[in-house]
Amino acid sequence: MPRSQWIRASCATVLALVGALSMTACSDDPDPTPDSGVKVDAGTDAGTDAGTDAGTDAGSVDTGIPWDGGSAGTFSCEGKAQATLSFAPGQEETLQDQVNTLAECTTIQLAPGTYTFDNAITVRQNGITLVGAGKGVKGEGTGTANSTVLVFTNAAANSNGLDVVGNRFEVRDLAVWNAKKDAIRVESSTDVVMRRVRTEWAEADKESNGKYGLYPVKSKYVLIEDCEAYNAADAGIYVGQTEYAVVRNNVARQNVAGIEIENTKYAYVLGNTAKDNTTGLVVFDLPGNPIKGTDIRVKNNTITGNNRNNFASVAASSSTVSQVPAGTGTFILASRRVELTGNTWGDNNSVDVAVLSGLAIESDPAQWVAGGMNFDSADISIHGNTFTGGSGDSVDNGKLNQQLRPLGALLATLYAYGETQGTRGVEHLLWDGLDPFGHDRSRVNPINICFSGNTLPQGTATAIVDLDLLTAGTLATEGNLPGAWAKTRHYAATGTAFDCAGFNPALTIGDFIK
Amino acid sequence: MSPRFSVVLLALTLAACGSSDPEVPGPSPDSGILVPDAGLEDSGVPDAGVPDAGPVDAGVPDSGTPDAGDPDAGRVAMPSSLSGLALFTGSPADGGWAPVEGNIPYTLSTALFSDYAVKSRTLYIPPGKVAHYQSKDALDLPVGTLITKTFAFPADLRAPDQDVRLIETRVLVRQPTGWEAWPYVWNTEQTEATQATGGRSRDVTFIDLEGQTRSFKYSVPSKNQCQQCHHLQDDTGAQVMHPIGVKARYLHHENTYGGVARDQLEYLASLGKLDGLPSLAELPRAPDAFDPQAADLSTRARTYLDINCAHCHNPKGTAGITSRLFLNFDNPDLFTLGECKRPGSAGSGVGGEFDIVPGNHAESILWYRLDTEESGKMMPQIGRTVHHAEGSRLIADWIDSLPAKSCK
Repeated sequence: MPRSQWIRASCATVLALVGALSMTACSDDPDPTPDSGVKVDAGTDAGTDAGTDAGTDAGSVDTGIPWDGGSAGTFSCEGKAQATLSFAPGQEETLQDQVNTLAECTTIQLAPGTYTFDNAITVRQNGITLVGAGKGVKGEGTGTANSTVLVFTNAAANSNGLDVVGNRFEVRDLAVWNAKKDAIRVESSTDVVMRRVRTEWAEADKESNGKYGLYPVKSKYVLIEDCEAYNAADAGIYVGQTEYAVVRNNVARQNVAGIEIENTKYAYVLGNTAKDNTTGLVVFDLPGNPIKGTDIRVKNNTITGNNRNNFASVAASSSTVSQVPAGTGTFILASRRVELTGNTWGDNNSVDVAVLSGLAIESDPAQWVAGGMNFDSADISIHGNTFTGGSGDSVDNGKLNQQLRPLGALLATLYAYGETQGTRGVEHLLWDGLDPFGHDRSRVNPINICFSGNTLPQGTATAIVDLDLLTAGTLATEGNLPGAWAKTRHYAATGTAFDCAGFNPALTIGDFIK
Repeated sequence: MSPRFSVVLLALTLAACGSSDPEVPGPSPDSGILVPDAGLEDSGVPDAGVPDAGPVDAGVPDSGTPDAGDPDAGRVAMPSSLSGLALFTGSPADGGWAPVEGNIPYTLSTALFSDYAVKSRTLYIPPGKVAHYQSKDALDLPVGTLITKTFAFPADLRAPDQDVRLIETRVLVRQPTGWEAWPYVWNTEQTEATQATGGRSRDVTFIDLEGQTRSFKYSVPSKNQCQQCHHLQDDTGAQVMHPIGVKARYLHHENTYGGVARDQLEYLASLGKLDGLPSLAELPRAPDAFDPQAADLSTRARTYLDINCAHCHNPKGTAGITSRLFLNFDNPDLFTLGECKRPGSAGSGVGGEFDIVPGNHAESILWYRLDTEESGKMMPQIGRTVHHAEGSRLIADWIDSLPAKSCK
């Protein structure tokens, strides 16, 4: 995940900037209601999607395309010559030569075994399919009779594993081992399928591991299914700046971030397992990006035990995930229209779900303004999930670092005091209480976060905290812990302003997927 | 750049003669090399036939415009071996490797850094064709143009013309459909370079300017990887290939042709290979970034960034569009040049929070990216394994010379 600061700025700075931002936001935003952006998105989308879906989505924010590893874009291999090139271990050089002169709609068939490459496999052609004999199992850096492993351990510096630009690209049944940068990077492509693929780095907790495992970016109609991602020094599965993505039945473990959905519009994240990462599943927008993330449905995922110490590169600034406290199940940052349902959270040491403003990572209003003002989080519906407990009782695993992970340090400090006041740990849902649109703080839930119908551990007293980070953080910085704690607001799951029914119109993403 | 670096590999500059319109060497529509392929656009099959059957050209004048009409007409079929292009005589093995007449050697006033490789460049414009002058962009080169760049390492950088080992020759060809890039890799015997579309990896060892032995794995980019640098977005948003170095400002300086020092652009014009050339006084000039006598520090630093970074970091380059960091020499906007600008997505730790912190190179991501050799952090993305000490020092000096400013 790219740069930013997790409450890096001092609270005073944040205070000043929030003030500045509030004014900017209010003056520029024509309709500062939580769902004002939605109608705009729906309208814009119909106009910009070429052909296929234009006109079919009247009134709906989802286009209803049943893309599901099929083709929704305009490029197709139907009716075209479709060659297959077959390779076996030992033929890496031939394979590389032929990859660079592929005719469109070629299938590259890789026999079982281990393939060792000294450079990225760079595909620049439409309609390419890359097929192995199987993805093998975690820990296997060599292929077996039933698996195909592409090894990049000694590849050129700065290279990816698979580096693809091409429409209708599919990769399946293989593993990418020890890529220098990203294991599989697919950029600016329409109709992308990754199925039964494993991306892995040999050693756990290694800062110099590659950044992303499965990485579709600036693409459209993406399916990532039945894949596994291990030991990425940033994100195991990272869908970035993409429109229409299905991320289904994957496993992400031992990464800094398990699954990330960034600046993405229309994503369906279904049935995945994110365990043992620093943070399990992340939905966020970065400033200055032309795609404003919205309409994300996160359903039936297991996001538990994400307590891996943060091993992201920490030199100076930059990586957002390097600033995430260990033990964060899910965070939603600068995101709108996110529905979380049917998921299971538990045993996440810092917090199960955090909803944060973009101000938490980028305090420069100019950056957000340039990026279409996508710094607010709004319309977050968390309903029908199961919280199994064991979370929020050891923020950042107790390894606090004000410099690197200031939010974790602040949270731990506040809750250490809170414990003396009878609070047992961070609630299941944390809202930072930063409100860039400058709503009256007397409104309890101005950005429409809904928390309803969830199953909670027995004996749960408060389930939601509004941290009021600006005020509480400032007081804490001044050493006034009682004052800071007094500003945080704790709510029960039911019968509060957060016990609401979601947002309108409801998400339809996923409704049309088989 | 120090004079040592400007020694041209294998005395290429001496090889071209100064006579006017030469007998047509190298590939031409008559040479057998420009055989139209099977009609498959970029079918990818390496030339299976005899690569250089046919004479070098019998002197038949170029008849008409081969690329009119049929889009494949005039298409250069790229041979499996470099010799098939008939652009050079002799071989590095016998010490007589040199461009044929009409394949014009040239140098750049400041060149892109590639792991200290010594590079030699040639430009071949087919008979009857002419390039059109551009004041800012690359020369507008006609269909059939071949640009070669040969990468080599001397055993000792302090003696750059001795014990030179050629690694690869990259060929950019202007096809009717646009530019294409083809890598050719030299054999150990140094007798031939063979097309290697997949790129190759070669172990390289040399003694650097400080007398230290350096060993590293040199990566010949694959054909597809060439696009990472040679790409711009056209008006429709499509990615199209472009040459990088052949711009007037980098070509406008003297080279030796047939023993006579000539301005390179003027020389091209005198051969009838370049039209629209304004008077020498009006020509733009990029200085030698490493010659303090050539220009002030800022101009030299901006030149270095321009040739090394701006092929991606410009308003039409993908990386530029994403990062909003524009390092082209004529970008007047300090913010998009990087001053106090946070990067769009820097990835992992890169030394600071801002692209350039004026007065402080150590906290400037721009400098860090140039200086580091760490995967995932260093820039440019490909084409560099070791760091360019002199370039990194130049940029450090420049950033430090900017009026100090806090970016917080």
